[in-house]
Amino acid sequence: MGRWGDCTRRMRLAGLAVIAAALTVGVACAPIPGPRHPSDPWERMNRGTFRFNEGLDRWVIEPVAKGMDFVLPDPVERSISRFFDNSKIPIHFGNALLQLKFESAFEDLARFVLNSTIGFAGFFDPAIEAGLEAHHEDFGQTLGYWGVPARPYLVLPVFGPSSPRDTVGLAADTFSTVYPWFIPIYASFSIGVGQRLNWRSLALDQIAAEREAALDYYVAVRNAYLSYRENLVRDQKEDVTDDEDLYYFD
Amino acid sequence: MTKTSITSTERRTHGLLRLARTVTVVLVALASGLAAPSAHAMTESEAGARAVISETVDEVLAVLRDKSKPTEERIRSLEQIVYGRFDLYVMSRLVLARNWKRFSEEQKKQYVEEFKQYLTNTYGNRIERYDQQEVEIVGEREEPRGDVVVKTKILGGEFEGALVDYRLRKQGSDWRVIDVVIEGISMVSNYRDQFKSIVSSGGPELLLKKLKEKNAAGMVID
Repeated sequence: MGRWGDCTRRMRLAGLAVIAAALTVGVACAPIPGPRHPSDPWERMNRGTFRFNEGLDRWVIEPVAKGMDFVLPDPVERSISRFFDNSKIPIHFGNALLQLKFESAFEDLARFVLNSTIGFAGFFDPAIEAGLEAHHEDFGQTLGYWGVPARPYLVLPVFGPSSPRDTVGLAADTFSTVYPWFIPIYASFSIGVGQRLNWRSLALDQIAAEREAALDYYVAVRNAYLSYRENLVRDQKEDVTDDEDLYYFD
Repeated sequence: MTKTSITSTERRTHGLLRLARTVTVVLVALASGLAAPSAHAMTESEAGARAVISETVDEVLAVLRDKSKPTEERIRSLEQIVYGRFDLYVMSRLVLARNWKRFSEEQKKQYVEEFKQYLTNTYGNRIERYDQQEVEIVGEREEPRGDVVVKTKILGGEFEGALVDYRLRKQGSDWRVIDVVIEGISMVSNYRDQFKSIVSSGGPELLLKKLKEKNAAGMVID
């Protein structure tokens, strides 16, 4: 009991240190080049936080993830990743319902039942073999579905690219995982850390390649995040929109 | 000892898989009752663009599967296929958008060449990651001004289920790819944002300089 108490206190301290460091970097960062991006009014602060996250990744997360990647074979890591995905299905199910996507909710439910039982608690994915596809509906998307925009862009310390909408979504999804299942908050955090590390060790090559290739990695990530999140919200609306500004010269 | 336990687990998984399929047939039958699939007749444009993507996918997969040839040679074959089916001039120009006008004729020529080299280096070095994935064409849609978007999905591997859309434009009698959109992330839009901030801070010269630096560093094959 005392041990856990210590642990949460230490974690809280670590959290404060992280935020303080991010703010310091954010304030101290160089002026931003070029005009403001309409979706990124907080670019100066965001670039600072982004740089902090990159440092954290380079010195802490990536080395640990490389260690994991060395010890665990990829199929095992993918299995762990499936387990984490499966444990999130109740959240996806709830959010699909909130977005009135009953077919997705139904498919999620079927996936959860199949994978939790004959998929050995989600370590395997027999549901996909059976043609049941995954739907990742989170609360950020639910807010988007009901009209809350994905912008402005906001880089969170440690968590990375986000927006005010998706930050609220992340908090809501985290707390709705914690309370109904009586999972203590620190356990939820450790699960989060485990999941992040596992994901990172699966993405070692991709992230190295993107960093290496981009001419402005911050802008590349911002564009990818905003487009990806908007696309997720747009998913089932099949309205034909021709992106005039993107595809025509006039 | 370990070996036997794995095989018996596998056998069990297989039996259960068959059960899962049976259960699923029922579930899917129920689900399909909820939403009737809407079949649409393909327009001539859609059929033309789809055929181009289908051929390109077949040719690219054939090169990727043939691991007997040296990497360099396979990258050259992929270049041949891609350069023939992508309109890299239109792509480069769309990426610059309004900044295109700020480039002199000579700079435009240099930029199109450097950007082409940059794309080759960036995507060429990912060839070794290919791991028996397949590509399925899942649909196509004609846009109001005549472009066609062909939607595909990756099957197998770590990107199972990833959606990749190709936007094609008719140039003369041929359909050419002018953008690749992966899970909603458009290549044209992503490079446009990156290049815009560079051009507005240092003009065409800075962008050309940065592209040249990247290209000089060459291709790292991982």
